[in-house]
Amino acid sequence: MIEAITQFFKQYPLLWTFVKAVVLASFTLVIPLAVIYVERKIAGFIQSRLGPLHVGPQGAFQTAADALKLLLKEDIVPEGADKRFFYLAPYIAFISTVLCFMVLPFAPGWVALEMNVAVLFIIGVSLFNVVSILMAGWSSNNKYSLLGGLRAVAQLLSYEIPMVLSVLAVVFYTGSLSLTGIIEYQVKHGWNIWHPPIMIAALIYFICALAEINRTPFDLPEAESELVSGFNTEYSGMRFAFFFASEFANNFFITAFAAALFFGGWDGPVLPPIVWTFLKVFVMIFVFMWVRWTPPRLRIDQILRFAWQLLVPISLANLLFAIALGVR
Amino acid sequence: MSRQRTMRDTEYNPLVYFIDGLVTLFNGMVVTWRNLWRPKVTVRYPYQRRPVPPRYRGLFYLKWNEEKQRLNCVGCTLCAQACPTDVISMVKLGKGTHAGVSEFTMDLGRCMFCNLCVEACPFDAIYMGPNYELASERRDASLFRIADLAQGGEEAVRKNIETIERLLAEEEKAKPAHAVHAAGGESE
Amino acid sequence: MVINVGPQHPSTHGVLRLILTLDGEQIVACEPVIGYLHRGLEKMMERRPYRHNIPFTDRLDYLAALSNNLGICQCIERLGGVEVPERAQYIRVLLMELQRIASHLVFLGTFGTDLGATTMFLYAFREREMVLDLLEECTGARLTYNWVRVGGVPDDLPEGFGQKVLDFAKLFRQRIEEYDMLLTRNRIFRSRTQGVGVLPKETALAYGCSGPVARASGIPYDIRKVAPYEVYDRVEFDVPVFEDGDVWARYLVRMEELRQSLRIIEQVLRDMPDGPVQTKLPKIFKPPAGIAYSRVESPRGELSFMMVSDGSPNPVRVHIRAPSFVNLSVLPRLLEGAKVADLVAILGSIDVVLGEIDR
Repeated sequence: MIEAITQFFKQYPLLWTFVKAVVLASFTLVIPLAVIYVERKIAGFIQSRLGPLHVGPQGAFQTAADALKLLLKEDIVPEGADKRFFYLAPYIAFISTVLCFMVLPFAPGWVALEMNVAVLFIIGVSLFNVVSILMAGWSSNNKYSLLGGLRAVAQLLSYEIPMVLSVLAVVFYTGSLSLTGIIEYQVKHGWNIWHPPIMIAALIYFICALAEINRTPFDLPEAESELVSGFNTEYSGMRFAFFFASEFANNFFITAFAAALFFGGWDGPVLPPIVWTFLKVFVMIFVFMWVRWTPPRLRIDQILRFAWQLLVPISLANLLFAIALGVR
Repeated sequence: MSRQRTMRDTEYNPLVYFIDGLVTLFNGMVVTWRNLWRPKVTVRYPYQRRPVPPRYRGLFYLKWNEEKQRLNCVGCTLCAQACPTDVISMVKLGKGTHAGVSEFTMDLGRCMFCNLCVEACPFDAIYMGPNYELASERRDASLFRIADLAQGGEEAVRKNIETIERLLAEEEKAKPAHAVHAAGGESE
Repeated sequence: MVINVGPQHPSTHGVLRLILTLDGEQIVACEPVIGYLHRGLEKMMERRPYRHNIPFTDRLDYLAALSNNLGICQCIERLGGVEVPERAQYIRVLLMELQRIASHLVFLGTFGTDLGATTMFLYAFREREMVLDLLEECTGARLTYNWVRVGGVPDDLPEGFGQKVLDFAKLFRQRIEEYDMLLTRNRIFRSRTQGVGVLPKETALAYGCSGPVARASGIPYDIRKVAPYEVYDRVEFDVPVFEDGDVWARYLVRMEELRQSLRIIEQVLRDMPDGPVQTKLPKIFKPPAGIAYSRVESPRGELSFMMVSDGSPNPVRVHIRAPSFVNLSVLPRLLEGAKVADLVAILGSIDVVLGEIDR
């Protein structure tokens, strides 16, 4: 039946594009609801609490109710804010996430836009996130926001480099810039994670991913106890919801990306491919949350030192290693 | 006193620190993993309640004496004197051996629940009970009158006043004879 | 850039306001502004009879209300020459050490949250809840206990209390190990605390710091050892003293004190004699004219009360030396040249309670 529907839409390319865009945008809005719920439950269980309980079975609709509340809230713009940037920032963050999802294959053929340079595209587009955070921090006319924004830019840019280098290791190893190509390579040759250079790359990717989505050892940009809430301190209502949604959608995306790069994407026995993708993603999200609720956070100088003194050299050396092994 | 230097770390070395960081992070994750499966400590308050220990210092009550059919309070104001914040005021009913109270007001908006009034009372009249849900949306709700405080409520207060008035009346009846007798004795 | 931390800020532990002058992420100057919680407690105490003042001290250091109760009661006892029965002294020590554990657990939890380890907060408060349950069973209250009286304690320990405390001590030892694994050994935590906010011994002495802050700077000063009160001279315990004076040392001092408190509790429960718990005193208590000074080791440091009597039922003058107040005064010195992120670590490691500072 799905075949029939796609066949029908493929006759009208413009309509088909529109449908895909709507589906992706709503997916990006809905997936955070699930991720936030899981996060709150896991955080609760780790901390000897129960987490949300009352809205829906086991509190499953709690995040939906929260989103509804945020929709209805007053939209406050601080006095002296740079209004254009202030209005624009959350949408840029959101759009950059939607664009990332655009080229992500969930199962064979389940990809909105088959692109042969998908990896490059993702790396480029995800950097928009940094721009939006800087915009939010700068335009809020709040010193905490500004500090949060500056920290975020310094951190995200520093960690982008080892992350890109470790992704490049995979690209050289598999010889493909397309995500579908990378996954198909793994279906044939086994998961990338079992190969030594990729193992190191995966570890570095994991650490950088924590930093990219502002998870605990690296959650400086919104360090609650220091900067109140960092770059999004002044945001409220729907604009805050967009930031929040894009953060958690990013969380989902970055794990899905890792699944595609290192864990064979949809590859797996018995279950249908789409289930495998989601299974891998949620296991990884669980690990991310598990890590998030364990250690304290680093200081800004320690974070930057860690990235430049250690991660960048290691990932560079690892890249060479991967090239040496990968070229056939 | 034990004087010691703290356990210090070695000179900063990125790789050593990194590996140590991973190992200790894993250690911490073992702890959080263990706690993930421990029983949860949440008490879902309006639906579940913790048991209240017998000594709990909650809302006051005036003790009802079933045998004598009256409240134990004799209106001696010792509790009012022991109170640091002037919470207690009362209206005494009668005097002498059968004295009691007709009104007993506590302004719990000022109360510190410090237990000093309970300790001051020599008649076992005032106690602190297990009720802790005293918040209210109205300001005058912090004013507790005798019917709110007495064990048995309105009914107990009515019976208390009845009993004391009856006892007082009996005493009054017995008194003239005694007074005359005494007067007679004096005149002799 | 001048930045205003507080009075409403997630990590100022109350209504403390810090005016920070920043150079990027570097702190150039810091000026603490206090007084948002001022209630004029000393003056209020002068207007009331001696024993009415005990519940007010609950509101000083509200995380260690029993220590304050003990401080003022000791002062009044010295003023009136009141003897305290032996059993009451043991009960007092037992409760003080339970209180110290509860208070240090609040420190541990909030310190963890300040540094970003939110889970530590919940774990510490979970165990603190057990201590509070014990104290609630004994005193009837969970925060403002008011359970020390002039001449003793109001009531004996409830039935089976000792066993419950011992059970808790056994469990809590394991939990301390867990805290060590989760936080103390963590590389990130150590990087965040070691060498941060170093308080040299001379500065600590000059500012009159006491308690864990002083002991972490190498000053072996604990009232329980220097001038033992109650039965502290009869129990065996170590006072941890560290030389380094940084946030890490202050943290370690408190962790070690948790263990030592458990030791004291076990000894006290073993040695506790039977007997009365309160000395009978006249209804209206009029100490002879004079002046009395008492000091106790509260979880935050040296807490002392001074009372002047002229023979009337009310004190003429009351003065409270609050350890947090003295320890806070050293904060601007500690913050010079620190980073914004270090602010919360340093402030958290001093462990101030604003109720005590503003009184």
